[in-house]
Amino acid sequence: MAAVKRLKRVAALQPGFISFKSSAESDDLNSGRRKRVNKNKKKNWNKHSDIQDVEEFLDDVRLQERATGGLISEKPDDSLFFVDIGEQKKRVQPEVQERKKGKKSKSRPLRIDLILQHDSLVPPPKDVLAHQQPNAKKLRRIAENAEKLAAMGVLPRRQKRLLNRRPATKTSKAKTAANNFPDRPYYDLWGAEARETADPYYLEQTGKRRVKRPEKLNAKPSILPAVEVIAPGGSYNPDFFSHQVLLLEAHEVEVKREKAELRIERQLAVKREDTATEETVFQEQVEGLVEEEEDEDEEEEEDVSIRGGLQQEKKTEKERKRERADKIKSQQKQAARAFTDKKQQLFQLRSIQATLKRREQRTRERVAQRKANQEAEKSMPRRLGRLKFQAQDLEIQLSDEIPGSLRTLKPEGSVLKDRFKSMQKRNMIEPRERAKFKRRHKVKYVEKRAFKEIT
Amino acid sequence: MGGLQKKKYERGSATNYITRNKARKKLQLSLADFRRLCILKGIYPHEPKHKKKVNKGSTAPRTFYLLKDIRFLLHEPIVRKFREYKVFVRKLRKAYGKAEWTGVERLRDNKPGYKLDHIIKERYPTFIDALRDIDDALSMCFLFSTFARTGKCHVQTITLCRRLTVEWMNYVVASRSLQKVFISIKGIYYQADVLGQLITWLVPYQFAHDHPTDVDYRVMATFTEMYTTLFGFINFRLYQTLNLVYPPKVTQHLKLSALSASLARVVATAEEEENQLDQFPADGEQKEQEDQNRLFEGLKFFLNREVPRESLAFILRCFGAEVSWDKSLCIGGTYDVTDETITHQIVDRPDIDKQYINRYYIQPQWVFDSVNAKMCLPVEDYFLGVTLPPHLSPFVEEKDGDYVPPEKLKLMALQRGEKHEEEEEEDEDEDDDDDEEEDNDEEDEDLTEEKNLKKMEDQRSQGKVRLEQEEKAEEKRLAIMMMKKKEKYLYDKIMFGKKRTTREVSPPDSTTA
Repeated sequence: MAAVKRLKRVAALQPGFISFKSSAESDDLNSGRRKRVNKNKKKNWNKHSDIQDVEEFLDDVRLQERATGGLISEKPDDSLFFVDIGEQKKRVQPEVQERKKGKKSKSRPLRIDLILQHDSLVPPPKDVLAHQQPNAKKLRRIAENAEKLAAMGVLPRRQKRLLNRRPATKTSKAKTAANNFPDRPYYDLWGAEARETADPYYLEQTGKRRVKRPEKLNAKPSILPAVEVIAPGGSYNPDFFSHQVLLLEAHEVEVKREKAELRIERQLAVKREDTATEETVFQEQVEGLVEEEEDEDEEEEEDVSIRGGLQQEKKTEKERKRERADKIKSQQKQAARAFTDKKQQLFQLRSIQATLKRREQRTRERVAQRKANQEAEKSMPRRLGRLKFQAQDLEIQLSDEIPGSLRTLKPEGSVLKDRFKSMQKRNMIEPRERAKFKRRHKVKYVEKRAFKEIT
Repeated sequence: MGGLQKKKYERGSATNYITRNKARKKLQLSLADFRRLCILKGIYPHEPKHKKKVNKGSTAPRTFYLLKDIRFLLHEPIVRKFREYKVFVRKLRKAYGKAEWTGVERLRDNKPGYKLDHIIKERYPTFIDALRDIDDALSMCFLFSTFARTGKCHVQTITLCRRLTVEWMNYVVASRSLQKVFISIKGIYYQADVLGQLITWLVPYQFAHDHPTDVDYRVMATFTEMYTTLFGFINFRLYQTLNLVYPPKVTQHLKLSALSASLARVVATAEEEENQLDQFPADGEQKEQEDQNRLFEGLKFFLNREVPRESLAFILRCFGAEVSWDKSLCIGGTYDVTDETITHQIVDRPDIDKQYINRYYIQPQWVFDSVNAKMCLPVEDYFLGVTLPPHLSPFVEEKDGDYVPPEKLKLMALQRGEKHEEEEEEDEDEDDDDDEEEDNDEEDEDLTEEKNLKKMEDQRSQGKVRLEQEEKAEEKRLAIMMMKKKEKYLYDKIMFGKKRTTREVSPPDSTTA
């Protein structure tokens, strides 16, 4: 904060600075807030002494010395001022001009020369190089060294720079770097193995070595083959039974679809009982119009059937003893029963084994079923995104569409779509649909003028 | 309670996954750029097992990526290029807006571009890895090469795809590796055996098709970008294995025909070397394969106008035939219709007016069926105007009890039958030589002797076959007796199931036949 204040003050003290607040106010503030400074310290000589006026004066003097050759106040009047008499007679001027042209002597110096004379008090700096006297020995030595270097082939720096300053050849690499231009050259990619030229740690740290591809990425996302051949019924000239099999498959798909549609219709259908009859319609219309005698709510009397709680009699000793004995007896009975049960289990071994076998079989069946399900899932397309995978329709041609010859064959289905769906089936891309065009703002309907006039 | 309290969703699966938007923000890319980057690098979204845990309690469907994958993406140098491109676009738009045309030119000259070579090397460290993944790349490139050059997608991409597909087809022709062909209503499926890998790809028909609107073109274009790069490198390597020059001399029209012509010359020299090497022990299998590869060798074909030229030319050339077509259709038609040495002409019309005597007029299905059957089928079934036999799929492998279409049975019988006939012919030749050496005068006796010999050979061979079958049955019975009770029980169940399917299959046959 002190530094900021200092900067502000220094800026404010510069000549020509116009602060927001009026100067008087700022002075007041400043004077009010001026801190006591110790001017005996060297640090504060520069900061807190105001030598602006002296500096201004000295700058002015220097400028005058440089520009006009001495202080203007010391110059004679003649050099600064002249009396303007007016235009001289024209006869004198051509004389002057003729005399000049005839003699061709520069009795009077040219105006340009006069202007270009340096008339400042500050002398031009000394040219050091002009005062240098060549040292013959040194020069000789320099020449010999240059010859030796030239003999070796090392060029002096100036010549090197000249040679380097050749016109830049326009590299047309950018155009051929495109990936898909038709005459793209190929080379043996799996041929020469490039050896690592430097320390592997150095290469890794500086990012020059490529990161290894993780092993899991080499696994294929699905076990289905890339190109699935169509069933034999899809041949352009199929034999009867395979064609029937294919038609049956397509038929089943259609049946399923119809069933789904029917199910939806059934769910939406209205029950016969709910349809409005005349009676119900009449009642509805009449509701609330006729005042009915409201029956009194029969208050249901709650049966406060508290069976007068059997007054608890205190248990006598006899009762307690009896209870205890009963308990022990029942426990003994149960123990004996368990014992005999265990003994009898020995004779029930066969049935026990049978039940165990059944149970094991059931678990085994279930395990096998689960494994089969898992295997089936591997070949199914996985759910990878918002949309479910929609299998495409089987490509078949009906019996009357089958061509007799290759010439009359009409191809069925699009291979592009087939490839796209195959990639979705193999979990390589997620199923996608075309993006819909959503309007941000509703369209305002404005009638054309013609319509406005009509309506 | 002592120790730090654990908060929910701070460790475990919740921290292993990251949503798509968060990942995008982490990488500082737009959504389109992020998607493109993921496609190029091969990073796919994952579905976590317990969605609720990962989604921090909600079950809203979101796209999740593994956090480690996204961290790996941060090191990718292409990300920088995407950002530079974004800046470039912005500067370009400003220059356009201010109508600074010199600036526009300067910016255009310095357009930032990126290369995908290091990504391919990283994703497929060896050549065989890349070969395994080429199915997808092939299908995409073939698909894009059939697009019309309207400008919906870059015309340069289409041209590049075309060039790559033509190079690939030339390689298959040169290496004779085509195995199966299937003409379906969707397109044509091919299968080739390249360096031990079975590669299947689908080629759409050339007829114009309307582009469906619900396919994301940007995604497909990005995939194609990556696949063209991969495909080019694979082509280079494959050509290297055959000692062919890459890239092959390309004519302006980039048609298969012209390239094949030039390749044929180069391949001839390679084949001679092969012949010399192959004199060493030729196993039965190798010989069979080579015979298959020379299926149409020596035959001369002519394709009529209405027939799918490129596909047929490709297949026929793969098996060593000479093909030509009308010059007005396309460049590369070497000989004309009027050439006398043409052996087969492929026509698809109901009838044809001018007919030459010494050539067969057949429908194109003969070629495909022959390739699938691996032998030259009898031409009579494929004459003009004849109802063709059904085109069976070679990609179906029938198991023991399954239904086998009768045409396939006939085919298999043909294959066996032909072999049988071949064996008989060979025996006959041997007998002939023997007889001629002994007695030349008694031709009748020789003939009768030949017939008797033939009969005896038949019986002996049949007898041999029967003996073998009996032996096998005996072994099977022994094995069944030796099985444990449990295994026998299972075996009985399996056989019961099989017999049931065969019973179901055979009655329909008996009613239709």
